[in-house]
Amino acid sequence: MYNSYELNESVRRALDLYSQSMIKIAFAYLKNIADAEEVTQEVFLTYLQKRPVFENSEHEKAWLIRTTINKSKNMLKTGWFKSRNPVPEDLSYLPKEENDVLQAVLSLDKKYRIPIHLHYYEGYSIQEIAVIMQAKAATVGTWLARGRALLKDKIGGLENEEICL
Amino acid sequence: MKKSVYKSAMSQLRTSDDFKEATYQKLMLELEKTSHNPTNQKEPIKMEKSKKKLTGWTVGIAAAAILAVGVISVNQNQNSPASTPTNQGQTAEATTKPPIMGKVAVNIDGVISEVSADGKSFKVGDLWVEVTDKTQLGSSEPTAAAPSQELLNKEFKVGDIVSGYTSQDVSTGKVTADVIYNLIAPEKEDAGKPATTGKMAVNIDGFISEVSADGKSFKVNDVWVTVTPDTIMGITEPTAGEQSDELLQKEFKVGNAVSGFTTDDLSSGKVNATRIYNNFAPQK
Repeated sequence: MYNSYELNESVRRALDLYSQSMIKIAFAYLKNIADAEEVTQEVFLTYLQKRPVFENSEHEKAWLIRTTINKSKNMLKTGWFKSRNPVPEDLSYLPKEENDVLQAVLSLDKKYRIPIHLHYYEGYSIQEIAVIMQAKAATVGTWLARGRALLKDKIGGLENEEICL
Repeated sequence: MKKSVYKSAMSQLRTSDDFKEATYQKLMLELEKTSHNPTNQKEPIKMEKSKKKLTGWTVGIAAAAILAVGVISVNQNQNSPASTPTNQGQTAEATTKPPIMGKVAVNIDGVISEVSADGKSFKVGDLWVEVTDKTQLGSSEPTAAAPSQELLNKEFKVGDIVSGYTSQDVSTGKVTADVIYNLIAPEKEDAGKPATTGKMAVNIDGFISEVSADGKSFKVNDVWVTVTPDTIMGITEPTAGEQSDELLQKEFKVGNAVSGFTTDDLSSGKVNATRIYNNFAPQK
């Protein structure tokens, strides 16, 4: 009984703390809120079934993000996802500047937009992103730099100005 | 330093209001299912394996014990001159008789092949079943279906499907039914059979709250509806009047009243319209 109660509490806490982050990262992957929410639900289901043990809350968050990325990748690979006609997410309610930047990031290849999301939205360092994405820090640095350069082409910026996301 | 526009955009992204609660409910349901079905868990599976091993050993030891007892008793019989056929018979009877520990109920389930002249008995398989005043008709379970009129009238006919049970010894070939749950008359050949396959259609009805950039999709009551080349526009029934352009506008606009239906699954939040009857701007 105690274990079940403890599990309920940890799921509830994880939902409160991390669900929004997970939806956002899945959205960065799938470009669709409904799909992102579905993936997030699946991640929590896995959390409930596997009952992983974490060293601390950061470890827990990193596991949830990693699992969200994996499940989003899986969803992208599924036949029904590829075959359907995607309805573009309507982001017209966002202010123009925000909308333009978000559209520009979403138009990037996913290998650039995920590190950009983790860096600019979650505030992870290159080393932390490397751990989450199971890649070398140098590779993540390259992805970030290339992503930024591509964004500079899309949304502009001064010659010596660092792209502001 | 300018604030992060990307972070601001992501923070303003609209997600479902009840996402947390819906997810929590779904997870708790899953947890309940798992706790009701412990074979899904790893530990009980291990237990099953060890149980199987244990059962194997038990069966082996039991078989060996029976063999040993058999050999000993055969030897004893051979060695004992006092043993008589009567004694042997009694021993055999005593060993073969199962222990009587309770009342056994036997299902009565099948198609009536014969009915007695008085209509109070019927034959199912090789068993004659008598229905007396003590026989309970229908099931007392709260969720059970109501007994049929044939059962209530005790009209047993050849071909009827009957279900119930008896606690009497069926080896006599004739028993009295304790309970008859139901009596169902066979379906007539000319009776219309219910459809076994079909597609469910769901109405699309409401006001458009959002329209996609390409204008081919719109949102009605939290569902994104896409109009594809396969979507049938307007009412094509032979008795329908001529469709006006006002009632079926080509362009989907926010605020327009739209009606139609889809055969897709609504739970995905996105469907293709099978038919659009109307798309018009409501009168101001």
